[in-house]
Amino acid sequence: MLLVPCPNCGPRNQSDLRLLGAAVPRPNPNTATRAEWGEYLYLRENPADWLQETWYCRAGCRTYFTLERHQATNEFRNPPMPGDKVGNSTYTTITVGSSGKQAGANEGDRK
Amino acid sequence: MALNTCHIDTAIPAASTLDFFYTLAMVSFRRSNPGPVRYSAGTLAKKGLSGDDWPRVWRDHELKSTYDVVIIGGGVHGLATAYYLATNHGITNVAVLDKGYLGGGGSGRNTAIVRSNYLTPEGVAFYDRSLTLYNSMAADLNINVMFSERGHMTLAHTDSALRTMHWRAEVNKLQGIDSSVIDPQEVKKLAPSLDVSSHPRYPILGALHHPPGGIIRHDAVVWGYARGADHAGVHLHQKTEVLDILCEGGELADGKGAGGKVTGVRTNRGDISAPIVVNCTAGWGSLISNMAGVKLPINTHPLEAAVTEPVKVFLPTVVVSGSLHVYVSQTDRGELVFGASVDPLATYSMRGSLSFTEELAGHILELMPGISKMRLLRQWAGLCDMTPDYSPIMGFTPVEGHLTDVGWGTYGFKAGPVSGEQMAECIATQQTPKLIAPFKLSRFETGELVGEKGAAAVGH
Repeated sequence: MLLVPCPNCGPRNQSDLRLLGAAVPRPNPNTATRAEWGEYLYLRENPADWLQETWYCRAGCRTYFTLERHQATNEFRNPPMPGDKVGNSTYTTITVGSSGKQAGANEGDRK
Repeated sequence: MALNTCHIDTAIPAASTLDFFYTLAMVSFRRSNPGPVRYSAGTLAKKGLSGDDWPRVWRDHELKSTYDVVIIGGGVHGLATAYYLATNHGITNVAVLDKGYLGGGGSGRNTAIVRSNYLTPEGVAFYDRSLTLYNSMAADLNINVMFSERGHMTLAHTDSALRTMHWRAEVNKLQGIDSSVIDPQEVKKLAPSLDVSSHPRYPILGALHHPPGGIIRHDAVVWGYARGADHAGVHLHQKTEVLDILCEGGELADGKGAGGKVTGVRTNRGDISAPIVVNCTAGWGSLISNMAGVKLPINTHPLEAAVTEPVKVFLPTVVVSGSLHVYVSQTDRGELVFGASVDPLATYSMRGSLSFTEELAGHILELMPGISKMRLLRQWAGLCDMTPDYSPIMGFTPVEGHLTDVGWGTYGFKAGPVSGEQMAECIATQQTPKLIAPFKLSRFETGELVGEKGAAAVGH
């Protein structure tokens, strides 16, 4: 069982969170081609290396956020803290199901 | 091959005379080439009386600079592909590369269950062919694979699960597979240790019974194919890690990617030039194909399994429970072998976890309260390449000469023989055989998924 560093709740048991896989931007539904949709739906980076992933803190703060985890060693790198600026987004509470951009879904430089 | 002398094994009445000639032939043959020996009671007796050493099951070779076909991955899939290429299609200039030892990945870590009661017609037809090959494997490969056709039971704990069982049974029957839904009393008759009362949280409401399913000795399957391939002239290279796949003409850097073609592989023992490179790996499947610029919709998850101390035989069938995420069978030695669903976390780490053991124990005691005093001997994990629709990715890729037989998730072992047979046909004829056509890579772009989640895994 991993201890996952939730930016709001601190270290939580892995069972409190859900891993949604590598963080990928959603293509524009008006312009995306079939191949792009196929790629968005099914293709995910699967390196034995560091990877930005989307997590959902389902039993805690119920926010979505990205964390960088090494896929072979399961270490986390530079976990964000509440209020951190990551890329153009800030880790604050995101209501589940709200439309719009997910916090931290874009890959920016980590502090 | 001088070993043709061994027809005697099938001509039992005249065995004594022929055995004499066989011995003579073996003596002269052994001097020239300490190669293959046919396994039989006669050979065993002779070896026992003479005290001769048995020859090595397969040989080591120098790495040649060029092969007709290079197969990456020395497990059941890779070795079966090599074996059928050599025996069915006469293509023997083949190398099988493995970065570790043969059968050290998924082939040696699975729970050795074989069955064909899948959910889609494509899946059923495919796995049934595999079961047919497993049935005659001991004779075909001349090795004791200890196939035990003991029946396979998938328990239903909810009304919806029971409905899916009926669905599967009907799909199976249409395809001519022996498969039916049975009630709790029949379940109790087949496996008396199961608690079929209404007491548990997940009571047993019925089961999908599949008599042709069973267990087999997975290591012997690997060794059988390795030995058969080696005898036919295939080179098996262990401790040979593929570092890169060499391509030309593709749209990406170094000529990789769509539109290009494969020219060879770079290994830790040197470069090999080959027009065809087949990816038969599990766990590292997406990384290997990435080397040729082919992206695969695969996520790698570990799957944990465990085994108990041996006890007297009390569980005569394979028991699977989707709701409780567990499957169990008793080996010939008497150990209970448990498997579970894949770990929810995608990772290449094969470390065991306490949560697995804890959940496994809780779930198995729901089914069989009587084994609460049994002790686990050990647990281990293997890597599973999970695809979005729980079906494999087989056949050609956008890179000419690069074929895949990957994405086998949690069910690759039972498909080993048929995959090898079909991939060999695919390579030899350069056309996709009908049986594997539904599993093409392009289905993720066209949306023709082969949804096997209802039957391929217990983790849902």
